[in-house]
Amino acid sequence: MRAVVKNKIGVFNPQGFLDGTTAPALLTIEDIQATKALNIDMMLVSLGKVVFFNKNGLDVFVRLLETLHKDSGTVVGFCDYNDKQYTSIEKFYGDDLNFSLFRTYKIATMFTVSMQEVKEKKSVLVWHEDPSQRSALAIELFDRGHTPIVCQSTAEFTQKKMQPELYEEVVYNSYLGLLGSKIATRVSGNAIIYTVSGFLDAEITNNFDMSYHKNSLNVGFTLFIFDAYKVVSMNIHGVNFFSKLASAGAEFGANICIVGMTFEKTPANFKDELEDAGLIFFEKMDDILQDKELLKELGGSGGGSKTNKRSLNKLLVNQLPRFINATVNTMEMMTNAKAEKQDVKVQALTIAQTQGKLASSIGFYGDIDGMVVLVFPLSVAKKSCELLLGEQTDNIEDILDTLAEFVNIIGGRVKALLAEDKVRVNITLPRTYENVDDVLATVNERKGVQVNLNFKGENFTFFLMR
Amino acid sequence: MITQEEIHDYINAIPPSPTVLKAVLACIQKGELAKAADEAAKDPALKLFLQGIVNKPIYGFKNDIKDLKQIFGILGLAQAEQIIYNYMISLLTPTKWELFSLTNKEFSQIQDSLSFAWKKILEHKEINDRSVFSSISLLPASIIVCEALFKAKHDELDLLRSVKEIDYNTILKRLSGMDLFDLCAKIAEVWEMPEPIAQIILASSGKTQQTDPQITELSKWMHLLFFYQLSQPICTAAGLNDFIEFNIEYVQDIYEAFQDVVM
Repeated sequence: MRAVVKNKIGVFNPQGFLDGTTAPALLTIEDIQATKALNIDMMLVSLGKVVFFNKNGLDVFVRLLETLHKDSGTVVGFCDYNDKQYTSIEKFYGDDLNFSLFRTYKIATMFTVSMQEVKEKKSVLVWHEDPSQRSALAIELFDRGHTPIVCQSTAEFTQKKMQPELYEEVVYNSYLGLLGSKIATRVSGNAIIYTVSGFLDAEITNNFDMSYHKNSLNVGFTLFIFDAYKVVSMNIHGVNFFSKLASAGAEFGANICIVGMTFEKTPANFKDELEDAGLIFFEKMDDILQDKELLKELGGSGGGSKTNKRSLNKLLVNQLPRFINATVNTMEMMTNAKAEKQDVKVQALTIAQTQGKLASSIGFYGDIDGMVVLVFPLSVAKKSCELLLGEQTDNIEDILDTLAEFVNIIGGRVKALLAEDKVRVNITLPRTYENVDDVLATVNERKGVQVNLNFKGENFTFFLMR
Repeated sequence: MITQEEIHDYINAIPPSPTVLKAVLACIQKGELAKAADEAAKDPALKLFLQGIVNKPIYGFKNDIKDLKQIFGILGLAQAEQIIYNYMISLLTPTKWELFSLTNKEFSQIQDSLSFAWKKILEHKEINDRSVFSSISLLPASIIVCEALFKAKHDELDLLRSVKEIDYNTILKRLSGMDLFDLCAKIAEVWEMPEPIAQIILASSGKTQQTDPQITELSKWMHLLFFYQLSQPICTAAGLNDFIEFNIEYVQDIYEAFQDVVM
């Protein structure tokens, strides 16, 4: 069975009946390995379409998932179950419940990293009978930019959940098993915020998702903030980590800030060293996020790398037909109609009319590196989303979300095509832009190959750059 | 990915039901099993198919039964009709399966399992209608139609399904306005199968509402039975578990009774 992978979560969706006889054929070690190779943070089995399961059936999945967790620290568990199924799982595993349980897929997404900003300003209602679970759920949500409200009793929860419209999500019948040690990450505007805590030593290098960080640089993020309110102290390994991060980001013009760090138990000269390496310290998060001038200066209000002047190279141009074919074929697949190539030019990204258009981008890195930008007229974007959404929609968030999946498909296809030529690349998480001016700012007048495609009389733009 | 023209080409390519089969079915409709056996003897492949069915372990005969009249006698009218329809559907199976990892022998096993369980269900519900009995034969046709339409699009489908949980039936419906069950109903139409067969099949997708309460009730049982079958190792190994979407809410009220009757 293949997993659906989105926002670094791989989900298997078995259907029907799960028992000791049927489960081994549904999920195999090969399926797990193939999904793990896609650089995921969480792997779940959805029980949404499972009408019957027993312990023997679940055991098959649990064994595979726990092996994955031991090997890679990936968060593993189940999602999309009903109350009755949750009770059964608790009963089956009792104190041996080492995996996580998320009542819905949406709740699971709140516990992982994403390129999507937490835009919802409502709070999250949290309830679990076990106080330590309540706290764990709340802390993890908070570290990812949500605002949890923890109920202290069944009565309080029963009363509050009567008004679900007041909350972004109601988290109950969910359980955090063994979590990964990865540093929590969230996006705020055009800034990436990492939450670090405790003692920062050599472990930080293992726990920090460097590929995510590189992806973020590749797709144009230049402001990285470390939320260090909960950091007690750091040693020289921590200092080295931040120094190296600053050096690596210099090529992209990245700014790295540390917020809330006190140096009561950390040598003061470490701060000087880090400042010399280019890191900037702030007392409070709002000192950055609420200061628009400063935010703009640091790159957190959009805009791309000022120093990245990398241009197209022969390697990338040689692969251009593969990129274009992957895009055209995917467009045709999604819309069930023909796209016609109009012209190909090496130039800075030029969009005659930015109003009424949406854009998406995906970066790739490995044997070759660069970024693909797609600019859609709204009508073409809507049409290309219909197959995935199953209906016409005017909801921009739905369309942008689906465009992200769309470029993910293109990225996956490019990756597969390049692999045929023994060119190995990884793709970044996709990024979408409601405002085309934002993508123009990210591209920042760098030259690339622009291909204009005609799609039923409307222009669709493909742009490949380094 | 799939155009309207491809759908029309597929429908037009459905062969008419062979003359021998029409004659066998006509005899069964009249209740003349001996004559049906005589007609069936004219088609060696059908004869072999029937011998293969009756001599399977589930029938429990110690010795091989070769005589067609005897075979029709053992089967009885309703089961004979159903098996003739199973045979008709098997004529549509591809020589080589590409989308699903199946062999024709495995496909035949799926047909048999469904027929066997469907018989139990109808006995439980005390339904003797031959059309209803035969309707299960058409259900596996959805697998054949899916194989035929999507086998050349394997890579595209894999990519699409890697980012979104979307089944073949939904993809086809969104692209062409018709789904696999609509195409099965077309097959029933071309093969002049009794009308209730197509109606039950359409409703068994779990997505089409029917006004007839009996058809709705039967379609729930068929929907759940299909997913019970699609959860079996033979189907999961073939990649069939998620080829169409299971509508769990649709079958919630019959689930416990299903457990008692089938599992």
